[in-house]
Amino acid sequence: MFKHPIDKEKEPNELLIANQQLAFQYEEMEKRITELIIANKELLIQNVEKEKRTEELIIANKELIFQNREKEAQAEELIAASKEVVERTTQLESANRELESFSYSVSHDLRAPLRAVNGYARILEEDYNSLFDAEGKRLLGEVQNNAKKMGTLIDDLLSFSRLGRKEIKKTNVDMNVLTEAVLIEIGQAVPHHATIKFGHLLPLKADHALMERVMTNLLSNAIKYSSKKEYPAVEIVSKKEGDQIIYSIKDNGVGFDMQYGHKLFGVFQRLHSTEEFPGTGVGLAIVQRIVHKHEGRIWAEGKEGAGATFFFSMPT
Amino acid sequence: MNNTEIEVLLVEDNMNDAELAIRALSKSKIGSNLVHVKDGSSAIDFLFGKGLFAGRNINNRPKLILLDLKMPKMDGIEVLTIIKDNELTKKIPVVVLTSSKENPDIERAYALGANSYIVKPVEFDGFIRAVSEIGSYWLLYNQYPV
Repeated sequence: MFKHPIDKEKEPNELLIANQQLAFQYEEMEKRITELIIANKELLIQNVEKEKRTEELIIANKELIFQNREKEAQAEELIAASKEVVERTTQLESANRELESFSYSVSHDLRAPLRAVNGYARILEEDYNSLFDAEGKRLLGEVQNNAKKMGTLIDDLLSFSRLGRKEIKKTNVDMNVLTEAVLIEIGQAVPHHATIKFGHLLPLKADHALMERVMTNLLSNAIKYSSKKEYPAVEIVSKKEGDQIIYSIKDNGVGFDMQYGHKLFGVFQRLHSTEEFPGTGVGLAIVQRIVHKHEGRIWAEGKEGAGATFFFSMPT
Repeated sequence: MNNTEIEVLLVEDNMNDAELAIRALSKSKIGSNLVHVKDGSSAIDFLFGKGLFAGRNINNRPKLILLDLKMPKMDGIEVLTIIKDNELTKKIPVVVLTSSKENPDIERAYALGANSYIVKPVEFDGFIRAVSEIGSYWLLYNQYPV
C-alpha cells in the first residue's frame, strides 16, 4: 500500500486526537455508569419504599375491611335495637289504650249501680216516708252517704290513674296568683276560719292545672287538719336551694306521727279516721304523682298534735 | 201507636237509670208522653217506623231524644250518626246522657251533632235535677224550627 509522506506525518496527530476523543468518551461513559449506578440504587431504594408502602396499604386495607365489618355489625345492632324500640312503643301504646278503656269502663259501670243504690234509697225516703221511724231514716241516710262516698272514691281513683298517662305542659307559673285563686276556691267550697299567710312565692316552670291540684290538695289538707284548733293557721313559704325551689305549707293542726310518715303518700292510706277527718286517702298520692312527674320531690314533717309541714321541691 | 205528640224518646239500656229518669221527668211534670226504648236499634226502629214500630206515623217526632251512649248491639254513637244524617230526624235535639266524663266519645258526639252532653250525676238529687233541668230546657224554653 502506497502512503503519502505528508499523510504519514499526519498519522500520529490523528491518533492523538482519536485517542483523546476515546479518553473523553470513556470518561463520559464512566460518568454515565456512575449516574446509572446511583439511579439504580435510587430505584432500589424507591422499590423498597414501595414495597413497604404496599405492605402498609395491605395492612390498612385489612383494617378498613375489619372496621367496615364492625360498622355493619353495629348498624345491624342499631336496626335491631330500633325495631325493639318500635315494638316496645307499640306495646306501651296498646297498654295505654287498654288502661284508658279500662278506666272508662270502671267509671261507667261502677257508677251506674251506685246511682241506683242512691236513687232507690231516696225513692223509699220520698214515697214511703211515713213507714220509717227515726232509726229507719238514719239507716237509709247511711245507705245514701256511702253510695256518695263510693262515687267520690271512684272519681279520685280515676283522676289518679289518669294522671299517670297525662303529659305535662310546662309554662311559667306565678305561684302567688295561683295560690290566691286556689284559696278563694277552697273558701267557697268549705268555709273555714283559718288564718292563711304567704309572702312572695317564687315562680316556677310547671303544668299550671297540675300545680293547681297540688296546691288545692295541700292547702285543703292544711285547713282540714287544723280546723279543730281555736286559731288555725297556715303558712306558705318558698325558697331557692341550688337548682331547686322548695315550697312548704305549714299548719298548726293535729299533725302526724313521723313513724307513719311514709304512709302519707300511699293510695288509700290515711293516718286519721274518716269520722275524725273526712277524705278518701287519694289526695296526697295524686300530689306525689304530680310532683314526681315534674321531677320534683315531696316530703313531710310533723308531730302528733303539733302541726304538719309539707314540702315539695321543683327543679328550676 | 196513636198520634199523641211524643215529647221525649228515652234510649237507655239500664232499667234503673231509665226508671229514675222517668221519675225525675214526671216529678217535674214534663215529658208526660215519654217513650222508652232499651237499645239503639229499637230507637232507630221507632224513629223510622220499622220493626216493632212498623206503621207508626214517623212524622210524629219526639221533641227531645235522651240518648245513653253505652248500649249493647247498636251503641249511642251509631244511633246519633243515623239521626243526624237523616232529614227526617236531624233537627230533633239529642242530649247524650252517659255515666262517664272519661268517655273518649264526647268529642265524637259533638262532632256528629249532639246538642248536649251530660254526665249522669251519681247522687240521686243531682241526677233528678239534671234530668228535670234538661227536660224543662229543651221542652219549655228551647224554640224549635217550625
